[in-house]
Amino acid sequence: MSKYLDLSIKEIHELLVKKEITPLDLVDEALSIIEENKDLNAFITINDKVREEAENLGEVDSDNLFFGIPIAVKDNIVTKDLRTTCASHILDNFIPIYDATVVKKIKDNKMLIIGKANMDEFAMGSTSETSYFGAPINPHDKKRVSGGSSGGSAVSVAGGLVPLALGTDTGGSIRQPSSYTGIVGMKPTYGRISRYGLVAFASSLDQIGPMTRTVYENASLLNLLVGEDEFDLTSVNREKEDFTRLIGKDIKGMKIALPKYFISDIVDKEVRDRIKEVINYLQENGAVVDIIDMRYLDTAVNLYQIIAMAEASSNLARFDGVRYGNRASDVNNIDEMYAKTRGEGFGNEVKRRIMIGSYILSGENAKVYYDKALMVRDDITKEFNRIFKDYDLIIGPTTTRVAPILGVTKDDPHKAFMDDVLVIPVNMAGLPAMSVPVGKNSENLPIGLHIIGKAFDEATIYRLASYIEEVF
Amino acid sequence: MSNYIPTIGLEVHVEIKSKSKLFSSSANSYGMATNTSVNVIDLGYPGTLPTLNKEIIRQGIRACKVLNCKINRKMHFDRKNYFYPDNPKNYQITQNRTPIGTDGYVEIEVDGIKKKIGISDIHIEEDTCKSAHRGNVSLLDFNRAGVPLIEIVTTPSISNDKEAMAYLTKLKELLFYANISDCKMEEGSMRCDANVSISKNENLGTRTETKNISSIRNVGLAIQKEIERQEKVLENNGKINEETRRFDDKLEETLLMRVKETGNDYRYFIEPDIPYLILTDEFIDDALKTLPLLPDELREKYSKVGLSSLQIEKLINNRSLNDYFLGLLDYETNYVTAVNLLLSDISSYLNKHNKVITDTHLSYEKLVSVVKALEDKEISNKNVKDLIDSLMENDLTLKELKKEFKIENITDDSFIKEVITKVIENNPDSVNDYKSGHDRALKYLMGQVMKETKGAVNPKLASDMLENELNK
Repeated sequence: MSKYLDLSIKEIHELLVKKEITPLDLVDEALSIIEENKDLNAFITINDKVREEAENLGEVDSDNLFFGIPIAVKDNIVTKDLRTTCASHILDNFIPIYDATVVKKIKDNKMLIIGKANMDEFAMGSTSETSYFGAPINPHDKKRVSGGSSGGSAVSVAGGLVPLALGTDTGGSIRQPSSYTGIVGMKPTYGRISRYGLVAFASSLDQIGPMTRTVYENASLLNLLVGEDEFDLTSVNREKEDFTRLIGKDIKGMKIALPKYFISDIVDKEVRDRIKEVINYLQENGAVVDIIDMRYLDTAVNLYQIIAMAEASSNLARFDGVRYGNRASDVNNIDEMYAKTRGEGFGNEVKRRIMIGSYILSGENAKVYYDKALMVRDDITKEFNRIFKDYDLIIGPTTTRVAPILGVTKDDPHKAFMDDVLVIPVNMAGLPAMSVPVGKNSENLPIGLHIIGKAFDEATIYRLASYIEEVF
Repeated sequence: MSNYIPTIGLEVHVEIKSKSKLFSSSANSYGMATNTSVNVIDLGYPGTLPTLNKEIIRQGIRACKVLNCKINRKMHFDRKNYFYPDNPKNYQITQNRTPIGTDGYVEIEVDGIKKKIGISDIHIEEDTCKSAHRGNVSLLDFNRAGVPLIEIVTTPSISNDKEAMAYLTKLKELLFYANISDCKMEEGSMRCDANVSISKNENLGTRTETKNISSIRNVGLAIQKEIERQEKVLENNGKINEETRRFDDKLEETLLMRVKETGNDYRYFIEPDIPYLILTDEFIDDALKTLPLLPDELREKYSKVGLSSLQIEKLINNRSLNDYFLGLLDYETNYVTAVNLLLSDISSYLNKHNKVITDTHLSYEKLVSVVKALEDKEISNKNVKDLIDSLMENDLTLKELKKEFKIENITDDSFIKEVITKVIENNPDSVNDYKSGHDRALKYLMGQVMKETKGAVNPKLASDMLENELNK
């Protein structure tokens, strides 16, 4: 039944400008596809004012490619007057009173927020199965996970429900589900996009990013999301640039590094073979691809567990039932109120991470674990910088395997982290990185290529990604 | 019993004067209606991040300067994690590892002996909510949440209650004069905790902490009582516990609040939402540029222009008069006469009308003209008393006022002579006294002349004429 939403944003935009369609047509189409695909469980909340918003959007702005385009927003990004749950019971009736900075930008650019995308509870998970609202489903194979934590965002784009989505990436949470569902997902450089209004999981790692069907649309959306924000001191002031500017250029002379670890036997053979095909193609077309040694990559998961959980244990302390969110009833004192509210409100994975994080920061542990992890984190950053002295980009597979079957990692939290083993090092160094689809395996499941760039050099990532996108 | 040596350390919190709060743009002002100076950041709302009010860093730099501390040029904030309803995020943003200032001192004088009280560190942090308990409900006022504080921690270098009180008095004077804080203990903008231990030898005894003592006098009392209590316990072979106490000002004794659990664990870690601050020379110089003269500098300056130490202390105790007088030093005048006016007739007027001098019409030019007229005996002190309301309340010059109040007309020799003759006739004893060399008699006779004329004659003229007449 899809009529317009399968078209490129450019084509949709032309139709809007020519007044052949209206934003309301797009919204109605999206709403009906979402309804048809309810089993994908991509959304936690549908914006029940979106039709009204579409009608009141005003005259089409012919210079604004995104005018009237429906978008999904991950449910850990606050939206004024629109329920924001973080996929948690503790916030399942939480209606924010302000807009995140990215949401403001989306609204200023006249995009239409169709709803809030499903995710792992507080973005803690690798399959979106920790969602209080049940896991979203992979549209390529409904027995399989979408990946996580931005699973709903990935599914909403991959399933053709909306052309655009916002995800967040703390340890691969944009790139890994993008890989599992065969879409383009970018985690920009830490500081590129304001985190104001993103419900914090691990503040020093979290980053919002665009999830789209094509590289060009991804770069175009990123253009609108970036910028220093007075409300986020970690956001960075950079000269304005057009991230699409290198799209379509050839790759002759481009120097690309492939760390041995990324094609070691931790990676599924079919995935490895596909990456090798990509490498051959790049070499045939004039790029230099060197297989290199890179240190510390294998420490990243451990570092992530220490740093992310320590920060999370503090960030999630505010959910106590005092000011917002659910509050437990029948309590006799404040300690009971805290314990019961949080005991009932949080799911097991969140509780597990809060406990580990609290333990890591307690007393002497802070020195033994946390301080040491920060030191090794510096070493990872230095190691990336060392390689980027000689290379423009680093590539590898985004994930070690294709999307797993629902439920297989659920009872093994440590195994679940291994889904993110290739993507986490990037967050440690704050670098930009993307997953771009490079075809499917024998079971017809998507495989993603991971492209890592220098800090603030997203444009070069888009250049390579667009070149690959043409062929794979 | 008196052979115990007490060791005392004080922790003082002062609210920093600023337009807005430490991490948000809400107003920082005392006495607003409950929960009216609150925004999403102060509420610890999901997704919010701290902004940083640079003016407060400047205030911190000023505090370092006036308390002789070394400034930490590379510093960061830390999170102190603990659950309490008045703590909106359930962590407080403070400075643990890199306090803005370290290794300072305040010089005090007790019974003529000078001593330096060491300051181990001063750090910047945010205040909590104010809570009120009504029956079985607790109410929170978020106006105070995020109000900037500096905490000033002394080394255990205070030996007794007198030194503690002298230290607090000096600290208050310094911070008040540096425009860092109002230091009003009664409004809670200055709060003091006292750590007290006693010992018979050089090994420090177990200390107790007495919290939130409400006045300088009570700090002295609390320390005295706590020393007495500890002595009694030890003399009875008891043991001092590490505990938190409070001072009851009605009972005038310290009471147990809670026994400290071993190693209170605040799980400190670096606040990831606020980047490291690098304080440049320019930034520091700029902050110190606006530092007003401090009390000891004022004392020196004032004694150079001839003020007595009594006048100096009275001036310094009255900030607005002091600031006014400081401005007067740019004018040529008799400063002693001017200060006498400020501390007598002008102060009485201000007290009576509950005004500060900057709310009046007493320009420096006008004050200088009054001083000159007094010096030249064109007017008397009584004239000033009569004119004071007009001097303070309108813009007429002294000359115009004299005309209006008909003060300047009695320079009529014959009239004055008539009065003098009459006074001489009526006071033969005083005339004889004068003639036998008692100068005081002249003053008395002059007084009689003024009385006869209701103070309306030109005093210089009348005095000259009286002397002439007596010497005939």
